[in-house]
Amino acid sequence: MNLIRHLLAIAVVLAASTAGAAAAQHSSSSRSDRAASTSTVPAEVLVVLAKEEPGTIDPQLKKLTALRRPPFNSFRSMEILSRPKLKLTLGKDALVSLPNGRRVKLTLLRVMPDRRYKVRAAINRPNKSDYLPLLQVVASAGDPFFVAGQTYQGGTLVVGVIVDPKKTAH
Amino acid sequence: MQRSNTEDEKLQMFFDGELAPEEEIAVRRDLEGSPEAMAQLREWTQLREGMKSISADWSKKVDSEALFGRIQAQIGSPTREVEPSKRHRPELRVVPGRRERRIWGGVATGFAAAAVIFLAVMAWPKSRLGPTDLAGAGTRTRGSEVLEADFGSNTGTIFEVEGGAGESLAVVWIDDEEVGRP
Repeated sequence: MNLIRHLLAIAVVLAASTAGAAAAQHSSSSRSDRAASTSTVPAEVLVVLAKEEPGTIDPQLKKLTALRRPPFNSFRSMEILSRPKLKLTLGKDALVSLPNGRRVKLTLLRVMPDRRYKVRAAINRPNKSDYLPLLQVVASAGDPFFVAGQTYQGGTLVVGVIVDPKKTAH
Repeated sequence: MQRSNTEDEKLQMFFDGELAPEEEIAVRRDLEGSPEAMAQLREWTQLREGMKSISADWSKKVDSEALFGRIQAQIGSPTREVEPSKRHRPELRVVPGRRERRIWGGVATGFAAAAVIFLAVMAWPKSRLGPTDLAGAGTRTRGSEVLEADFGSNTGTIFEVEGGAGESLAVVWIDDEEVGRP
């Protein structure tokens, strides 16, 4: 009888320890993954010139259905002027030049517990704070946020920022 | 010649007086040229008459008051307890080894449970064991949203626009004057 009780106890302990070990292994691997992935995150800045005059919509923008909805639906032509890819590092500024002479400054502030990215953005001329001094946004991987309204060449610049674009679900 | 089911049904309805007047007239007309249907009608009539007379005879013979009295008496009588069976129940026999088998089964179940837990943990996708789960936080949220905005000396508006998957995407619109080409 004692032997059987011992065997039962061993079975339970074995179950607990194997489960614990496996969970710990996953935990450590996911933690290391997180550390690797959060120190540097890829990002993409989409610089679009949108105009109300009839024209063409760049085929690359067709996936971005948000650009066909208000307040963007008044634009009848959209042209991608640039699409720079960059890497956002925690606490470090990344700069992207705009065609109107201003610069977009992006800083990855934090990776949230729900895996969204907290990003700070600013759009200004060098050494000035003439347009958008500060914008703080949280965004999921692959989901853009937009800053629009700068006039340029008879149109409007629409700047889309996508953090971790490879993880986009669309 | 054999009549169809529809004709039989119609004849039956005629017999029961369930037909509309026009249909009844039509069936009556058909009956004149169909001795077979007439014979069928006669047969049903005889049958009905016979049933009626039997029923009348039986109801005369039955003393309905006495029958009702018997039924009431049965309903009102006290219930009788049924004695439990006095059959000798066989004693339970202890079979040596069965308990051990049950315990060994428990041990085997324990090991199986261990294996299942181990496999479940190993097979659980890494994405599900992400920081969200580890931190005990909620599910991953889609879209983007503005936490803070400083428009400086400009006027700005914050919009939410729906993305392709129904997620809410942040749009910051700042009015601007032409800056010109660099």
